[in-house]
Amino acid sequence: MWDKVYYFVMVPMVYIAFGTFALGIILKLLKVLFSPSIKGSLGAFPRKAPMPAGILYEVFAMPAVFKKDKVLWIFLMAYHAAFGLLVLGHLELIREFRFLQIVPHEVFLGAGWVGIVLTISVLYFLLRRFRSPYREISVPEDYLLLLLLFLTFVFGSHMHLAARYGIAGFDIPLDDYRAYLSSMVNFKPELPAMITASPHYVIIMLHILFANLFLMLFPFSKMIHSVFVFFTIAVKRK
Amino acid sequence: MDKAKEVQFINTIKKRLNKPMRYYLDLCTRCGLCYDTCHVYYGIPKKEFSPVNRAETVRKVFKKYFRPSGSLLPYWGDAEKFSDRVMDELCEAAFSCTGCRRCMVYCPFGIDTPHVLSIAKTLLLENETTPEELVMLADAAVEKGKSIQDFKEGYREVVRDLEEEVRKRLGRGSAEGLIPMEKKNADVLFVGLSGAHSIVHPAVVFNAAGENWTLSYFEAVNFGAFAGDPEKTRFIADRVINEARELGVKEVVIVECGTAYRIPKYMLGPLPFKVTSIVEKIHQYVKEGKLKINEKAIIEAVTYHDPCQLGRNAGVFEEPRELLGMLCGDYREMSPTREYNWCCGGGGGLVALDNEEFRIKSGKAKKDQIDRTGAKIVVTACENCVLQLNTIRDGYGLDIEVRSLTELVAENLSL
Repeated sequence: MWDKVYYFVMVPMVYIAFGTFALGIILKLLKVLFSPSIKGSLGAFPRKAPMPAGILYEVFAMPAVFKKDKVLWIFLMAYHAAFGLLVLGHLELIREFRFLQIVPHEVFLGAGWVGIVLTISVLYFLLRRFRSPYREISVPEDYLLLLLLFLTFVFGSHMHLAARYGIAGFDIPLDDYRAYLSSMVNFKPELPAMITASPHYVIIMLHILFANLFLMLFPFSKMIHSVFVFFTIAVKRK
Repeated sequence: MDKAKEVQFINTIKKRLNKPMRYYLDLCTRCGLCYDTCHVYYGIPKKEFSPVNRAETVRKVFKKYFRPSGSLLPYWGDAEKFSDRVMDELCEAAFSCTGCRRCMVYCPFGIDTPHVLSIAKTLLLENETTPEELVMLADAAVEKGKSIQDFKEGYREVVRDLEEEVRKRLGRGSAEGLIPMEKKNADVLFVGLSGAHSIVHPAVVFNAAGENWTLSYFEAVNFGAFAGDPEKTRFIADRVINEARELGVKEVVIVECGTAYRIPKYMLGPLPFKVTSIVEKIHQYVKEGKLKINEKAIIEAVTYHDPCQLGRNAGVFEEPRELLGMLCGDYREMSPTREYNWCCGGGGGLVALDNEEFRIKSGKAKKDQIDRTGAKIVVTACENCVLQLNTIRDGYGLDIEVRSLTELVAENLSL
């Protein structure tokens, strides 16, 4: 029975999660597209840099956060930069990308640091919410999403760091990850025996379970900010 | 709350879901960076007066009716049904906000909280719990627009008295034509307020600059916007737009009133004439040499309060500062300043309500700013701000004088 549960999480649920993620975002964007525009402008002044550089600057450099809370800014910058590396790292788990070998590495630019930075950052965001005044304005969604991210990162990091303990049989060779993920991408799913037989199979399953939940919740939660922020900053600068 | 009303309110929210509104309702992460950026929260540190909490009052009902989690798992996002308590919370959130948008500058996503609260204002109108004063003032403005012919003769008589005042100030022989009305193809249509000073000082400036201008029959202030009524807002604005079209003017110059300027300038889409603030116009006259002001005529320490709707929300930062730089020997900048400047607490129609004690408390941030400059004269360019700064002065016993920029220029012209 557990085999079936594991298989469901590792294969069908991944497709469901990516489908929900993509369709959810498309649905959100369509809803916006078919909503009326406003006649005038909701812009604020001054507009220090022209479009679109100004939008990119405000989105990626977060000057508003820097001005108000420098500690939060450091964690946010670290978190988002690490998240970018995380996405690239997972692409490398499908196949090798030569352009990423500018800095020679096996897989995952930033090695284990990516997971550590993400875990610590998300822990900071979570603990920050237990402090006044952030506690008063937080809703259950805020804590639960951070908890979900924390669990995803912890289990993900664990797999990466466990690779160092190959002698104990924890290591799963890169080729097996690539076999699994490329089979998923090609819609011919297969679970290599090195994964299913590994003592870390449960960790991989939990990591993928939490990642699936994250993807499914993404379009329908406040995480949609990563898509809508480009539009709101454009509105502010219009 | 009965079902019919609940359905009516849900439909009201649906009608207000324009593009920016959809973004703002969905993407707030409740990071809390805006928490203490509101002047009301500074003066009265209650969670209810934090921008994020104000917007959350709207988001909670939005989630309840428009998000699957709202009906399946309301706990997830604190979703709430309409109730009398929720309506009271919406009222407190909407009518303690001046619409200054200081929180927007500090928000990493640029969420326009007053825009979110416009949903609350519309719901309150339908619930008939909008402050009565604002509804009455908006209705009066609408009525004037509908029956302007009945007002015209009486208004012309008032203006004739004002012409005499302008004549005295300009030192001219005749008062005739100093405040022209219904002048076809004038270059400028000036829109004032109901107070005489809002017409006399600009009239002195226009005559001194030799402007080909005419005075509007209407007042610039838009109580429809303060009440949160989009139809009345448009109707009140259209009175001036139609008047400008009929007269064939090239430019509409708005008196010192931030909202009255921002609405036609930025909120109505393209118009067949240019919209300018009186502050920008005076600055233009000075730069072109049409107007000469007595340089460094004011020796006392002067500071400038940026009206939110003119500065942060319309970009008029430099013009008043350049004019004051010429007029004053001791100009002192407030801190924080420009887009980060604290709101005085008089905007959003709040100055028209019976809430002086609240406005004194919410004006504490401004009082502290003024104190730090050590200035004796506080200049601003918005009627609401002048009224509220006087309330702050009296409430805290400040030894300051509050002056309007146009008034200061008109008194210090080299004629």
